[in-house]
Amino acid sequence: MYACIYAPGAGALAQGFSPHIEMVDAQTAVFSITARQVAGLQEISRAAVAETAEAAILAARHLPGLTFIQPGEETSILGGLSIDCLPPDPEIFQTLDLWGIHSLAELARLPEDGLAERLGARGLWMQKLARGALDRPLRPVAIETKYEESIELDYSIKLIEPLLFLIGRFLHDLCARLDSQSLAAGAVEITLNRTDRMLRLPFPTRDVKFLLKLIQHDLEAHKPGEPIEKLRLRILPADPRRVQHGLFIPAAPEPEKLELTLGKIRALVGAKNVKTPELRNTYRPGWAIGDSRLAFRYFRPPMAARVEVEGGRPKHLSTRVCRGKIARVSGPWRTSGDWWREDAWNRDEWDLALADGSLFRAYRDGGGWFVDGSYD
Amino acid sequence: MVTPIPLGWRIESAPDVLSTGAADCPRGRITEIIGARSSGRTSFLHSILAASTKLGEHAVLVDTNDTFDPSTAAAAGADLGKMIWIRCAGNVEHAMRAADLVIQSGGFGVVALDLAEAAEAGLNRIPATTWFRWRRSVETTPTVLVVVASRALTKSCSALLVEMKRKRAIFTGNLLRGAEYEIAPRKPIGSEGGALHCVAV
Repeated sequence: MYACIYAPGAGALAQGFSPHIEMVDAQTAVFSITARQVAGLQEISRAAVAETAEAAILAARHLPGLTFIQPGEETSILGGLSIDCLPPDPEIFQTLDLWGIHSLAELARLPEDGLAERLGARGLWMQKLARGALDRPLRPVAIETKYEESIELDYSIKLIEPLLFLIGRFLHDLCARLDSQSLAAGAVEITLNRTDRMLRLPFPTRDVKFLLKLIQHDLEAHKPGEPIEKLRLRILPADPRRVQHGLFIPAAPEPEKLELTLGKIRALVGAKNVKTPELRNTYRPGWAIGDSRLAFRYFRPPMAARVEVEGGRPKHLSTRVCRGKIARVSGPWRTSGDWWREDAWNRDEWDLALADGSLFRAYRDGGGWFVDGSYD
Repeated sequence: MVTPIPLGWRIESAPDVLSTGAADCPRGRITEIIGARSSGRTSFLHSILAASTKLGEHAVLVDTNDTFDPSTAAAAGADLGKMIWIRCAGNVEHAMRAADLVIQSGGFGVVALDLAEAAEAGLNRIPATTWFRWRRSVETTPTVLVVVASRALTKSCSALLVEMKRKRAIFTGNLLRGAEYEIAPRKPIGSEGGALHCVAV
């Protein structure tokens, strides 16, 4: 059963009945309705309820008050309307005028075969419309919902805990709104006074506790630094996460738990120090994709070294962690790259085996000798 | 027939293991790798990370001194996409707290704590109770907790203690091709004689 409201601000009125509304034009809104909701339409000046959406639209637009069309009564109620109530088609209207057809009832009574022969599919479509029998699915428009809450306080908040209390209240409301639209939060934007901070979530969620914890970690890691008088919380919606579990899939950390753990670790060691290692398509030392399985340990930053050279080959290495005679040398291997950047590199590398068996990679550039790390 | 179980004793079955080819690391236990610089500690650690991530598990490396080389780890077979790398800039206390949080979080195949280059002063400040607590935390999980250090730290808490020893560097002409190591198990008791020679090239 469909209802149609024909009035200024029809969309807003219709939202009181259903979130799925088709806006036919600025004043005409159609939506699906239940028998229990029909009584609510009585307060609206122009509305209609019918078995099909098109019958409801015709009745609401052209009949005064609330019109309730029972199934099978479409022709009798809509029959009195003029043929001009149908969507304009000058050619068909001219033919119907020649035939002396002026009302919907007269059009509805015409034999279908003859009408199809003379007016084609368009004529049959108009007859179905006149009978109120044209059934079609609703084409609801997505009405943009704002997931935003804000408050201007009469007092200032200096501590994180009372601030979280307010944020928690906002999150409850916003997540309930997301839930009603089958959406989840993809990111959270918080404005404290005039400072914006964006919290990008690793996966969409509408778990209030989890979101609140994440915000707490973020606030603790990056303290506002001033008393808060104005708070705004905006959620950027996203499609909810869908996970398919399997009996034979190896156990993995729970995403919510993992994100909270990583949030705590980021607050401890810094966000840039918690990541997934990656290789880059470059020859830059430390980033290059190699094929040696001989593990390497970097000294970050490279360790300054003193190297004694005889005949162009290193003979003795001395750094703050190691010292010794060099037993065997591999190199020099000249590498350079990224000459167009400020951090270009250009150096001669050596693999050094000390007499005690330890293996190092050292290099010499314009600034002297450095040990890059050790083979291990 | 009902067999009475003496109070105060637990019946433990042999733990599941993560097989790396060089050694089997017991799950739900602490594995400790010790050795000097260039003794193959990191090569062994990479083989553990590779074995775990190949099974589709997730691994965490708590890198105390920011020494990890993703390139050689990837070459050893580790799936970097399944790893989390936590760098602690030489701060042992941060490394221990980060490892603690990861262990309590659970769900990882391997949690590796690299203390090999850590300052001695920082290592001496680690409370012995930490290892006992971690042993209890992982014992009901499939996690392999790996500690890499230059000397034994976990004492009685580790189920597997492996001492790595450097044997020789392998040169081909003027090129360093690899290194030969000895994996000498020190624990469990009785495994001391089973030293293995392995080569990383």
